[in-house]
Amino acid sequence: MGTAALVEQLMSARQQLDFACELLAKPSPEALDSCSSVLEAAGHQLAEWQPTFSQQAGDAAALEEAWKLRRSFVRTARLLQGAGDFHRNWLRLRGAMTGGYTETGESAPLIHGSRISVHG
Amino acid sequence: MANLLATLVSSAGTLEAYGRVLETAQNNVANASTPGYAKQRLELYALPFDPQGGVTGGVRAGKLVTARNEFAEQAVRQQTSGMGYQQQLVDSLTVIQSNFDISGNQGIPQALNNLLQSFSAWGATPDNQAARQTVVQRATDLARSFQQSSVTLSARASDTEQQIGQTVDQVNQLVSEIQGYNHIAMQGNKSDSGLNARMHAALDELATLADVNATFQSDGTVSLMLNGETPLLLEDKQFKISSSLYQPQEPTPINANGPANVRIQGSDGSDITSKTTGAQLGALLHLRNQILPSFIGDAYQPGDLNTMAKQLADRVNQLLTSGNITDGPPAQAGVPLFTYNASDATATAASLSVDPSVTPDQLATISPGPPSVSNGVPLALSALASPVDDADKVNGLSFSQFYGRLAGRVGTALNDATNNQDVQQSLLSQAKELRQQYQGVSLDEEATILMQFQRAYQATSKFLSVLDQLTENAINILR
Repeated sequence: MGTAALVEQLMSARQQLDFACELLAKPSPEALDSCSSVLEAAGHQLAEWQPTFSQQAGDAAALEEAWKLRRSFVRTARLLQGAGDFHRNWLRLRGAMTGGYTETGESAPLIHGSRISVHG
Repeated sequence: MANLLATLVSSAGTLEAYGRVLETAQNNVANASTPGYAKQRLELYALPFDPQGGVTGGVRAGKLVTARNEFAEQAVRQQTSGMGYQQQLVDSLTVIQSNFDISGNQGIPQALNNLLQSFSAWGATPDNQAARQTVVQRATDLARSFQQSSVTLSARASDTEQQIGQTVDQVNQLVSEIQGYNHIAMQGNKSDSGLNARMHAALDELATLADVNATFQSDGTVSLMLNGETPLLLEDKQFKISSSLYQPQEPTPINANGPANVRIQGSDGSDITSKTTGAQLGALLHLRNQILPSFIGDAYQPGDLNTMAKQLADRVNQLLTSGNITDGPPAQAGVPLFTYNASDATATAASLSVDPSVTPDQLATISPGPPSVSNGVPLALSALASPVDDADKVNGLSFSQFYGRLAGRVGTALNDATNNQDVQQSLLSQAKELRQQYQGVSLDEEATILMQFQRAYQATSKFLSVLDQLTENAINILR
């Protein structure tokens, strides 16, 4: 495989991660579901292509694209962590506000119960 | 009778709750165009109903939604602080980077290159007076480049110091403004949504400058803590912070006259510098107390620019003084070329100069040996370009490599800050989106969303560790 083809593959994976970032910018449960599929697809592609990477070892253009891919990954991870922290912290706070604290000083777990939500 | 009273109390509570709903709606209309105003929605809670036990049901206005709104606001402010930090770092590092040229066409790298070339030319024609004159001139140029770099970086340190002072003043001013709002709230205006909006606008502005935690109290006032632990505002009492230059005493400074650091103090005089790590103020402190001293030094380090200047001057002087100007008898020893202030390790680059009393014919050419080599000294000086001997290196690198690494450090830091700024911008947008998503969502709907989110989050997180490994591998294989 030539440099151009490898760069294209890495770029394709990066574009998928960038799309995941777009989804995570508005992190609704639905967006997260879509994001999950996108990340899975990107992972499959990279794992499939990885054995051919060594043919281009030392190639500056390919390495630059790999760094861009890495940066997109870092952004994706930070955004997912950001959304996770937001919800986790709010759950903890809401648990403490409604159920107080446990014996070990943790916020009481939030019991959702069985609910039916009707949307108009 | 008890049940009748309970019912009356219940009715009064219900009426009060509905009254607050109307109040909320009025506030929304009145403040529709107020900057920073977020639409309010009052949640009503059904109370347990058991007439036999005196529990008469009814509705009450709840605090959970208010708390959630404030939580979302704080999350946005937290990301705003992160954005302030990265933005400041990018701005400041961009200015600093302009002082480090690595193309070799100006500044220290060019002057160093020219000096090394002049050594080489002198080695080829050791008796040529013009070649010697060129060496003295190039050495003068290099010394001047070190001085200029040192002066410029010191000026950046002073600028940063001023910026820190201005930022501290701005923080105190904004806290004072919020203190005024607290005062108004304490006079019974806690439900004034316009007031609340002005408070939030001021808090948003404050978040860019400093990492401040805001906690709204039941009386409508807001308490502010810098970095989560140093009080800035409690009710209507403000605690001002200040900045000043200081020379640490513990541990004992190695460079007593080195550039002082900047310290931030709480209103009680306690040193809170190490805790002030977020937002613009945190970035400026990082720059002033860590990044710049790594080049120009402080109480505990000479700084790389001074290390390089000293090593170069010492080595050139050592080679020149080890040689002879004439064979004699008696042999006439060479003289040192460079001088600098040896009493302060942080002043080497700023004070580096060529001894004005040195004339070109005082430059030693002959290496006494044995065997004596007529152009041994200029040849040894030329070897500084591609050193083999450890004595010709600085921290194991050639002088050019050392400077390249020093300049590259700024470039890398700027590159990292620029990337982090992009990520931080996305995180800020995300926090604003989350704040928007939950506005007007009932607690029941929220519970459903939270459950769905947790499930989707767990599913998505699984792929991250795989992608982490795969993207790392790609770099390692292609490197």
